[in-house]
Amino acid sequence: MFGALYAAEGTDRTALDAVAREFSPRVEACGPREITLDLSGVERLFGDARTIAAEMRRTAADRGVRVRVAIAATRSAARLFVHHRAGLTVIEAGREAEMLASLPLSLLGNVSNDSNVSNDRLSTLRQWGLRTLGDFAALPPDEVAARLGQAGVEWQRVARGEDQRPLVPAVPEERFEQTLDLEWPIEGIEPLSFVLGRLLEPLSAHLERRDRGAAVLHVRLHLVTRSIHERSLQLPAPMRDARTLRTLALLDLESHPPDAAIDRVTVAVDPTPGRVVQYSLLTRPLPSPEHLSTLAARLAALMGEGRCGSPVSVDSWRPGECAMKPFAPRDSALAPPKPSGEGGRPVVALRRFRMPIPVRVRVEEGRPVHVWIDPPAPSGLRRCVSSGRIEVASGPWRTSGAWWEGTLALPRRGEGNWDRDEWDVALSDGSTYRLFRERGAGLSRRSGAAAKAEWFVEGLVD
Amino acid sequence: MANMANMANSALAVLETALRERKLDRTLTTALPPLARTDPAAFIPFDHAAIDGLLGGMPRGQLSEIAGAPSSGRTTLLLQLIGAATRRGEIAALIDTCDRLDVAAASAAGIDFDRLLWIRGESFDSRSLSASPAERIVDRAVKALNLVLQAGGFALVAIDLADVPPRVLKGLPFTTWLRVQRIVEGSDTACLLVGPEPLARSANGLTVLCAGQTTWSASMHTRRLTGLDTRVRVVSPRRRVDGETRVEAIAEYDTPRH
Repeated sequence: MFGALYAAEGTDRTALDAVAREFSPRVEACGPREITLDLSGVERLFGDARTIAAEMRRTAADRGVRVRVAIAATRSAARLFVHHRAGLTVIEAGREAEMLASLPLSLLGNVSNDSNVSNDRLSTLRQWGLRTLGDFAALPPDEVAARLGQAGVEWQRVARGEDQRPLVPAVPEERFEQTLDLEWPIEGIEPLSFVLGRLLEPLSAHLERRDRGAAVLHVRLHLVTRSIHERSLQLPAPMRDARTLRTLALLDLESHPPDAAIDRVTVAVDPTPGRVVQYSLLTRPLPSPEHLSTLAARLAALMGEGRCGSPVSVDSWRPGECAMKPFAPRDSALAPPKPSGEGGRPVVALRRFRMPIPVRVRVEEGRPVHVWIDPPAPSGLRRCVSSGRIEVASGPWRTSGAWWEGTLALPRRGEGNWDRDEWDVALSDGSTYRLFRERGAGLSRRSGAAAKAEWFVEGLVD
Repeated sequence: MANMANMANSALAVLETALRERKLDRTLTTALPPLARTDPAAFIPFDHAAIDGLLGGMPRGQLSEIAGAPSSGRTTLLLQLIGAATRRGEIAALIDTCDRLDVAAASAAGIDFDRLLWIRGESFDSRSLSASPAERIVDRAVKALNLVLQAGGFALVAIDLADVPPRVLKGLPFTTWLRVQRIVEGSDTACLLVGPEPLARSANGLTVLCAGQTTWSASMHTRRLTGLDTRVRVVSPRRRVDGETRVEAIAEYDTPRH
């Protein structure tokens, strides 16, 4: 037994769907205002067909939806009647063709998927002098096939109230969410850890049954202050291991804790198809995304946000400019060793001081000859940079840029313009530094006076 | 005389039986036997003929160190090793305790940045009032080292302690490096310390001592830095490796541009 609901213009589709699902889990949407249901076995709950139809209309009215209802032994018959007649219509089983015979031919266009094709076909049928479904159904099928093809034969069967295919039920959107109302509010990470574990275990099992992974993890904490503390974690790869998800959620909540006690916890994920992993004998295995994401979260909690990742070269002439991106290595086949630099020779490295260290420099004949750090500097500062006579000096190497930005009193990383003369200097103790002099400070290059806050040490050649 | 020999033998047998019962008849050993020194898979090469010819590379599953004074070539060797590992498709981690890595120099060393995990500490030469003391910075760096080693999967994990005052390094508990050794033992990971002086290494690890000086072009008025000439001495009594070689590094602006 099948039912068809046809709603009035402007009806909310969600409400119509909800009405249908109150009577059957197997429903199929046939248009923006039409829905068909499989009512097999529903008589035991509601009674005969007429009672079911009345109950459906009453339920729809309770939800503010005005519908036509038709119930028949076939989907096609129910659909044709619901388009033709308002109110409730119940067709006895076995009498579909007889009841449909007097209905107008135009109803076939209402139940067709392609309106252009149906209009052409209806026009042809009218030219043949046909006016009702019964007229069309009475034609010999082989003659209809010869003139309209197999599609015409299928139309003819619909005109008799016969189904061409079974009902294809729409699968409701599945939610991956778990909620727990707590008997008393909890505070702190440790009790929350147990609650998250209890919620994530069944969620993880649900994901595994559906072969899905979590792309985003949402944690919603309902607080005693009636506010909601919500955190969303974008995961680097689809994962469904409960322990990993719990660890990531806890590390994030440690950095962003709620400001009140919690009385309800909801955990939800945005599902995505599970990750297919194929290992290779030719590549060295990388840590799994679960391990890497857990490691990244722990390191971020320890060292601070934005302090861990892969370095990125920036297209800039600013000395020392760089950026960072998340660490996400990709598999690749192991390559044979390749030499670096010129003919395999290593390249001299510079140990860069992120905050250039101000130093005092004595200049003679335009060249630095002695460098030292003021005594009030912290002891750690003094040990980073030696003091002493400059044995060899190479420079000045002039560099400038970002003239459109403002001038800063002290050079700060990545900000402001720069206009400097750089020197590579070797001290008497064997250490080699890169110095620079801010040209904007405007002191004389002549010998004698030591510069104040004009010279800085940028790095150590090592 | 025969009676005394018999008594000694029987006493020895009783002693051996007692040791065996208490499982004290062998020293602590790793789960896997150490790779033979001739097995290339046991080392991470430097991709430098002189160093690799001397010691084969940095041994996996061991704690090694590179030590030297400022401008001795420690950082050059470190970046050379990281570049070699990443170019081979392996991943490396660098715990940069004082945030000293120069990205341009690392790029010139041929490091594949996608395969390098850079963990940036805090420079304790910061003039900010909120700067952490050196002990706390080193403590965080050591914790980060342990996290990375325990995660596993890295071919090379290096911790750069070159700018940490020796008094702070000596203040670390001696068990710190014992724990690190236990973590890397039997794994494919080579752990490397870079410091101002020799600090710690495992029994089969290496101590690489660097002493170097910068080289300059000859002209007085257009003099420029041309490279760094490093004398590398390797010490490893257990492995009976002891030798010396020279490494000539060139300045970045002398490398061919791509």
